[in-house]
Amino acid sequence: MSEQPPAPLPREKKVPVQVTRFDKVLGQRRNLIYIVVGALVLVVLLALPPLGVSGFWLRTITQAYVLAIMAIGWNFIGGYTGYAAFGNVAFFGLSAYVTGILMKKVGVPFLPSLLTGALFAAAFAVLIGLAVLRLKGHYFAIATLGVAEATREIIADDLGFLLKIPGDLLGLIGLDKAAESLHAAAEKVAITDGPRGIVLPFFQPPFQIGDLTKVQIEAWFFYYLTLSLVILGILGTWWLIRTKLGYSLVAIREDEDSAKMLGINTTWAKVTAFALAAFMAGLAGGINAYWKTFVLPEEVFRIGHTLEMILSTILGGPGTVLGPALGAGIFTLVSSLLIFKLKLGGFHVMITGLFIVIVIVFTPKGVGEFLTGKKPLALSSLLENIRRYRV
Amino acid sequence: MEGFAQNLVNAMLLGGTLALVALGFSIVWGVLNIINLMHGVFVMLGAYVTYSAFTYLGIDPFLSIPFSMLIIFGLGYLLQRYLINLVIRAPLLVTFLLTFGLEMVFVNVALLIWKGDFRSVTTGYSGVGLVLGAVKIPYIRLAGIAISFLLALLLHLFMTYTKTGNAIRSVGMDLDAARLMGVSIAPTYAVTYAIGAALAAAAGSLISMTFPIYPNMVGSWTLRAFVIVVLGGLGSIPAVLLGAFAFALVEVFGGSYLPGLKDAIAFAVLVLVLVVRPSGIAGKAFYK
Repeated sequence: MSEQPPAPLPREKKVPVQVTRFDKVLGQRRNLIYIVVGALVLVVLLALPPLGVSGFWLRTITQAYVLAIMAIGWNFIGGYTGYAAFGNVAFFGLSAYVTGILMKKVGVPFLPSLLTGALFAAAFAVLIGLAVLRLKGHYFAIATLGVAEATREIIADDLGFLLKIPGDLLGLIGLDKAAESLHAAAEKVAITDGPRGIVLPFFQPPFQIGDLTKVQIEAWFFYYLTLSLVILGILGTWWLIRTKLGYSLVAIREDEDSAKMLGINTTWAKVTAFALAAFMAGLAGGINAYWKTFVLPEEVFRIGHTLEMILSTILGGPGTVLGPALGAGIFTLVSSLLIFKLKLGGFHVMITGLFIVIVIVFTPKGVGEFLTGKKPLALSSLLENIRRYRV
Repeated sequence: MEGFAQNLVNAMLLGGTLALVALGFSIVWGVLNIINLMHGVFVMLGAYVTYSAFTYLGIDPFLSIPFSMLIIFGLGYLLQRYLINLVIRAPLLVTFLLTFGLEMVFVNVALLIWKGDFRSVTTGYSGVGLVLGAVKIPYIRLAGIAISFLLALLLHLFMTYTKTGNAIRSVGMDLDAARLMGVSIAPTYAVTYAIGAALAAAAGSLISMTFPIYPNMVGSWTLRAFVIVVLGGLGSIPAVLLGAFAFALVEVFGGSYLPGLKDAIAFAVLVLVLVVRPSGIAGKAFYK
């Protein structure tokens, strides 16, 4: 009798599950199509400035990139860790101020100032985070909101009280001379110039490119700088979620107590995520300061910035790699069109607000879910959220 | 820096207004379990209704309080019934963001209608008050605190002795049990929210007489309402009153020492309470 080994099974080809009409249209090569489209988009974006696109569009797209940087940062703490921070504009503003102060008053060039500003924001986040990340859910959100507001007031007040309080304490224990000098210093100190704000030095092109004007070189500089930071941010997110830290963050989001029982150092993980978010927001803040050439407390600590980055992340899909950038792009595009083409300038804040309302009610997990096929592209998906959570 | 006695009196008077603002916030949080970031909007709108009634129709500000309350009651009812109710059982952060978005919309609308200038309501009797030694007590603020207490009392009576009030309390205690008892949840939620809004509007009307009003005052008042409710403890009317007066003391004395850092002080109080005693002074109970 000859014993033959059983014939090997034929290799089964992996077919992605086709759930939705969207999937069926794209067919089995859906992922490949996405990669090709993504590469094309990247090439187009890289080539935009040399193609002679108008200044308006370059500025708008650069604005979108800045928002995307902030949103990518927020995604770390809000999307992946599940701690919805409402005060990230504090990091944006602090970095803007540090960058501005270093450039204007100390004369440091741009890139080192930017880096210092972002690192300062991250350090601040670590300090605040250790206190605030103990709180859960809405308490954490309001606490971070309070941090942002308090930071704004302190900066607008020009830090005088930091010298005034020790001065008064010294006066109480009788060291009047020292108290006097501290008080005098508090009057004279002008670190942040209070509510007047700081004006930064203008951009000076380091070298000449063809026959472009100074203004155009400036536009190109900021465009490529922000674009490369967005790409780095996306790659960084993609890498992060494959590290132990990334998995820890998702574990914290899903069930923090179980994560602690598994031995994850949740405090360290949360603070790291918070610091990363602050770093990204800080980069955006420093770039914004140099780009707009001025910093004002009401502008750089405006709560609208936080709302925009949260909205972008949620719109694109929180907890995804491309979500924040996608959402930032959609939001900036729509609001720019509404503001500049339809001349609805005074309605900017209202547009953001309405966007938030619509996104929250209809697509709380963002449009990313439609693209990855998890949700069918039908009206019922939009109403699903309402059906689940209405009274 | 004012004298100690004047500060103390100011704190007492401010406490009344703050209590009224925080009362509505506390009811909405206790019964609907949503943190209404729009609360400041109702304060602002109430203030502007009184301002408009006074400036364009010549109606005395105290007389316009019922009107501002009524108008904002209607607005709050519609908002809750047809918008916020759509996602009310979602996680807290969803309604958080929703009310925040709505706040942005309303602030923008207010900016477009009334512009960003500071306005106030000054009547013939605005500056008049009792003078006891070094302490000045304006009659307006005295009336304000009286109205606050009156409204708090009315609220308590409403909650305890009327059918709707009892329905609201039962929904706050146990939603499903209330439903089983035949309470209609959607209108009850809407009425609760509307009451909160109306109280805020009354506070706004009083504020328009004593402070300058401008559309961006919204954030400050919402933050203070939140801090007071956390400080006093979610649950009963006395808890809110306690928290309001405690907070008023901190704000007046802190504000006279470090002017310009009002929100920073409020935030510092908040963090302190959350770290030391998260349930507030009077502790969290179901809404009494």
